[in-house]
Amino acid sequence: MGNKKKITNRQKSEFIWGWLFILPTMVGLIVLNIIPIFQTIYQSFFKTGDFGKGNIFVGGANYAKVFADTEVWQALWNTLKYAVVEVPISIIISLVLAVFLNGKIKCKITFRTIFFLPMVAAPAAIAMVWRWLYNSEFGLLNHILPGKTNWISNPKIAIYSIAIIGIWSIIGYNMVLFLAGLQEVPRDYYEAAAIDGATGVQQFFSLTIPLISPTIFFVLVTRVIAAMQVFDVIYMVIDNNNPALMKTQSLVCLFYKYSFTQSNKGYGATVVVVLLVVIMFFTVLQMIGQKKWVHYN
Amino acid sequence: MKAKKLTSLLLSSVMALSMVACGGAADSTSTEETADSTATETEAMKGSVEGELTVSIWDENQRKGLQEIIDEWSAQSGVKATIQVVGWDDYWTLLEAGASGGELPDVFWMHSNQAQKYMENDMLMDLTDKIAGSDKIDMGNYYEGIVNLYQSNGKQYAVPKDIDTIALWYNKTIFDEMGVAYPDDTWTWDDFVDAAAKLTNDDHWGYAIAPSNNQDSFYNAVYSMGGEIISDDKKSSGYDNPNTVKAIKMFVDMVQDGSCPDLNTISESGADVLFESGKVAMVTQGSWMVAAFKDNEYTAANCDVAVLPKDAKTGKRVSIYNGLGWAASASTKNPDAAWSLIEWLGSKEMQEKQAELGVTMSAYEGCSDLWVNCTDVFDLNGHMKMLDADLVFRPYSKYTTVWEDMQTEKLKEAWTGDKDVETVCKEICDSMNQTLSEE
Repeated sequence: MGNKKKITNRQKSEFIWGWLFILPTMVGLIVLNIIPIFQTIYQSFFKTGDFGKGNIFVGGANYAKVFADTEVWQALWNTLKYAVVEVPISIIISLVLAVFLNGKIKCKITFRTIFFLPMVAAPAAIAMVWRWLYNSEFGLLNHILPGKTNWISNPKIAIYSIAIIGIWSIIGYNMVLFLAGLQEVPRDYYEAAAIDGATGVQQFFSLTIPLISPTIFFVLVTRVIAAMQVFDVIYMVIDNNNPALMKTQSLVCLFYKYSFTQSNKGYGATVVVVLLVVIMFFTVLQMIGQKKWVHYN
Repeated sequence: MKAKKLTSLLLSSVMALSMVACGGAADSTSTEETADSTATETEAMKGSVEGELTVSIWDENQRKGLQEIIDEWSAQSGVKATIQVVGWDDYWTLLEAGASGGELPDVFWMHSNQAQKYMENDMLMDLTDKIAGSDKIDMGNYYEGIVNLYQSNGKQYAVPKDIDTIALWYNKTIFDEMGVAYPDDTWTWDDFVDAAAKLTNDDHWGYAIAPSNNQDSFYNAVYSMGGEIISDDKKSSGYDNPNTVKAIKMFVDMVQDGSCPDLNTISESGADVLFESGKVAMVTQGSWMVAAFKDNEYTAANCDVAVLPKDAKTGKRVSIYNGLGWAASASTKNPDAAWSLIEWLGSKEMQEKQAELGVTMSAYEGCSDLWVNCTDVFDLNGHMKMLDADLVFRPYSKYTTVWEDMQTEKLKEAWTGDKDVETVCKEICDSMNQTLSEE
């Protein structure tokens, strides 16, 4: 053990080729993700000038402003509400669908395709279609349902209406991930369970869920992150003069407003740094929590 | 076994893709369109090669007429110029990215919301000397507010392109049905409020306001009644002026008594959409909407346009106006050609042609007469005669959007009736003064 290891030619070439193969990804990540992250954090300490010129260092002033800004706290609350509704419901629905579509039913592929379709459509197009469905004057929903509900302009329910759009759009994607997870589960387990007299529901809770818990965990973590970054649906559906704006805008919407509409890039950067911290907090929490319920064979 | 299952899974997702591709569903076309427009947008924001100019605008409706005018210039100068259209929101995002990276289009539109920022940072070509040496362009010929807008530190950065006016659009069918006389130039704001109440029933409202677009809604009444939004020196807010409060209160009362739809309805459908579907009898809209109303079958058949009401007390009829300017990039590789094109676009003949082709009314005073004839569907005198009314330039300062956003947000509480108008105006006044003091 104490001997100096001599690097063989083979090891050397593997080392070089290994790095060479991950180089494109590394460069992409560093240039497009990692450097901008630090630039954003750096920028959050400045009062930015127009066109990236004349930035003035203001220390923690932007952060002091964020903590005193009720609009930011409301936006954080809206974002959390959206995530709390969208993530669990979409996971439950897509898990159930995946189990059914993994079984023996007719036209399996057709159904899989249909559920995956929303994923293929452009998010902006989806948002526009839903906006018209929800419209209180001309919308299909109010046409079918009794009464006149302001789905997207009543501050009390607008965020949930938006979460429904989110759920509808993401079900197909989650379902494909769950299907992939289910393919890994050996049939024998179910046969054994059936012989022991376990019902379908029992099989689902005692076999399926524990066995695909790594997939569920993966979907949960990625979906929570994505849900906290919700922007396009809200931006497309909620207009500037919508009375529900304050109760629906997410942190990213606020970031967009400050950075691009009002050209206050420093303050916009501060808002996303807050979002980054919040997302990191929840992700770490999940990483710790997984030990209790995720089984890696 | 596993491999087979994976393959089938893969196949199903491929099928999902192909179904969309072949199905010709609305979704697939929209995706393609988005991809296409992104490509042209990037193109539009690049600088040009020698002997060729890029021109960027945001209004597709104006492309055809402007291209005709520009082609005439190309025939004379031998320099090719192509118009790229980028939608309003993306236009400013991409223009800002272009400005930061030093790759602006050669010639492009400027707008009052952003002009100050671009001028102060030397992003636009200084046209002062070029205008002084030109026999075609004299700033005295254009509407004053638009000329001043594109000035900074005594330099002129853009040549005025067009002017817009606000007028009262009305639905003749609803007026006939309810037995109300069509609006004319004798109407005061009181007549307007009375008529709106009479025109309201279970199927339609009398008037719909577009609260997020202040230029075509309450600003006109504010100035007509003797109020103001911002002081002339742009240092203080006009929301503490009792006449400003009075004008806003008039609209809020209409919402409260039901002759104007509530904020929920408007934020979902928009005043223009409600008008185009026969849900409201009157809207106040800008002349930029003529193209849209002309193309809409319902409005073309049922609607017409008249001048805005005047105020009984002050006797003033006010149209808040705005105008675009033709600006060039300070870093263009072809400054002479860019100036030559701007000079051409601002010349009397081409300003007349712009009106004649129905692109817009022109910023050159007295050149818009032919615009009236650009369509026979509506009597455009409603908009034309507003040029003879009191023209007030759209209130602006350096960071207009900051206080405008705040104003839209705070006014919501007035529209919904959660707070009374006086309190809301007081709050707007304080917050706006704070913003203005930081400029």
